[in-house]
Amino acid sequence: MNKNKNISPIDRREFLKKCGTIIAGGTILGAGGLLAAKIKGKDADLFWQIDHELCTQCGRCETDCVLPVSAVKCFHANKVCGYCDLCGGYYRSSVKDLNTAAENMMCPTGAIARKFVEEPYFEYTIDEKLCNGCGKCVKGCGSFGNGSLYLQIQQDLCLNCNECQISKVCVSDAIKRVSKKNAYKLKESV
Amino acid sequence: MTMTKRVLFSAMAAMSSLEAFCVARFPKPDFDSGYQYPDIEHPVPWENFWNILDIVLLTVMMGIVAWAIHKKESRKAIFCVSIISVLYFGFFRNGCVCSVGSLQNVVLAFTDPTYNLPWFVLLLFILPIVFTLIFGRVFCAGVCPLGALQEIVNIKNFRISRAVSQALSVIPWIYLGFAILYAATRSQFIICRFDPFIGIFRFGGDIGMIVFGITLLLLSMVVARPFCQFLCPYGALLSIFGKFAIKKMEVTRKGCINCTLCHNSCPVDALRPPYANKQKEERSAGVKRLIMYFLILPIITAACSFLVGLNSENLSRANKDVHLYDMIQAQEENPDMEMPMEVVAFHELGNSVDELAAKVDDIQKQFSIYSYIVGALIGFVIGIKLINLSVKRTRKTYEIDYSACVACGKCFDYCPQNMSPLTHSSRSAFFLRKASKDDKLAKNGGIHTEKTEKRAPYPPKEELIE
Repeated sequence: MNKNKNISPIDRREFLKKCGTIIAGGTILGAGGLLAAKIKGKDADLFWQIDHELCTQCGRCETDCVLPVSAVKCFHANKVCGYCDLCGGYYRSSVKDLNTAAENMMCPTGAIARKFVEEPYFEYTIDEKLCNGCGKCVKGCGSFGNGSLYLQIQQDLCLNCNECQISKVCVSDAIKRVSKKNAYKLKESV
Repeated sequence: MTMTKRVLFSAMAAMSSLEAFCVARFPKPDFDSGYQYPDIEHPVPWENFWNILDIVLLTVMMGIVAWAIHKKESRKAIFCVSIISVLYFGFFRNGCVCSVGSLQNVVLAFTDPTYNLPWFVLLLFILPIVFTLIFGRVFCAGVCPLGALQEIVNIKNFRISRAVSQALSVIPWIYLGFAILYAATRSQFIICRFDPFIGIFRFGGDIGMIVFGITLLLLSMVVARPFCQFLCPYGALLSIFGKFAIKKMEVTRKGCINCTLCHNSCPVDALRPPYANKQKEERSAGVKRLIMYFLILPIITAACSFLVGLNSENLSRANKDVHLYDMIQAQEENPDMEMPMEVVAFHELGNSVDELAAKVDDIQKQFSIYSYIVGALIGFVIGIKLINLSVKRTRKTYEIDYSACVACGKCFDYCPQNMSPLTHSSRSAFFLRKASKDDKLAKNGGIHTEKTEKRAPYPPKEELIE
């Protein structure tokens, strides 16, 4: 290079920069193309959801969600429910008198309401605005009843963090990325 | 109806898989009163709309910044973009998913075939890179809510000594390396976990990160963009593409007059002052130096690769499964210990320890491979940085270091060449006064003395070694 005085260092540098640009552009095209080929349209993992088969109701959903009140709510599968009067999710396990006084209620926020249907059945409903996802009722229902109460992430409340905070602390790895098709994992019937 | 914005969702879950988990302790009641089961609908937000809007806004805003730095040569539009970005991407969209974090999704998509990458996450990742390769770092300028937030609060710009800033500029690469390592092994998204500003955008979250975020914001009042300069892994990636940008921004089209004003205005120290390389190097010495570089670079790369690779087992402890396995082992060794919740859940679900051990073994193998690769990447970057420090190049005027330049456009207003002839004398006089004041404030070496020294007649073209 030194022999040919016409080639100045600036030109060489320009040439190297052009090479760099071409390599960088090629990398973008290559990586972009590879990834674009992998995209499967509607199956994309957009949401987070709890697999209730793995959930152990450890209570971290209540405390670890980035929202002030967790996006995890208790869902109720009516078709699984036994409509019992003595409900393990509604009453605490060691109640003295079986009445609806606050100290006898399992739910700490009073989110579970019940309505008399006919003798001896009661219909239970969850007020999602009050529910904080602590999972106490889910545990009660699972150990004494049919397991019709279960925890799910309410998708319209969830902020859809790129990495879900509760998924990181979940004791049984029950929170996974799901597609829109599987946005809820519902219990339909026994 | 409020449901118009929501897609109603009613899933027909596979019944067979559920039977095992709904224990029918009580029979299904048979109602006499004609009771009907209530219909419960669970809403799914209309994500598609917001994602399309995100991508459109991202593209439009990067376009505006590109126009502002290449055509208009003004900062006003960039500042407006910063405010819109902080409000929309930050406070309204709550900062997730962002381009910085999308890096990990992309890595995960490469290594995990079960993960389906959403199309907009790919676009969030690739669009800023494409724009950077064409126009320079227009994404960093004000479209990125993290950078924009720091830019908005910045009042005064105390310059960090170049030695310190050069040393600190390795951190983003180390961060990038570990982000890739943990994303590729499906362990954690550390960029999201240690995002300092997400808590501020959401008014909540991990208290430690909020404190860190506020500290960084306070710091960015006096030191421009501390996160962008010394932490951001995506910025590190963009700096390569910025260096090789096709269309490069210029402080002025009218030619530099070596007045130092742009250098004083630059928040990220991207304007390199003129420098006369007086040391004439023999050709043979230059060749020797080049050979030394080619020898030293692989040595540093290999050394770092080994350093990280040997610690792969410790690094793998951040993986949940490995951590769980460690806890189970500790529990077995010391049965009197109180069982951690994870171990209780593990036994409750009836999982087998052997299966977990096999899984952990697999994960640790992956960690071993990836940590060698990541170590090599970090070592390579450190090597290149060291080589860059030792290369001395002659600059006749102020030149932009395009890998560091974040295209914020602050230099345009400072350059006297950009002013109209009418205001030229009065405004440049004002800025020159301001510059002399700035010099008094600048503690690390007077810029003026440096300038007068380096504005001495330049030697003719010298032989330079690439």
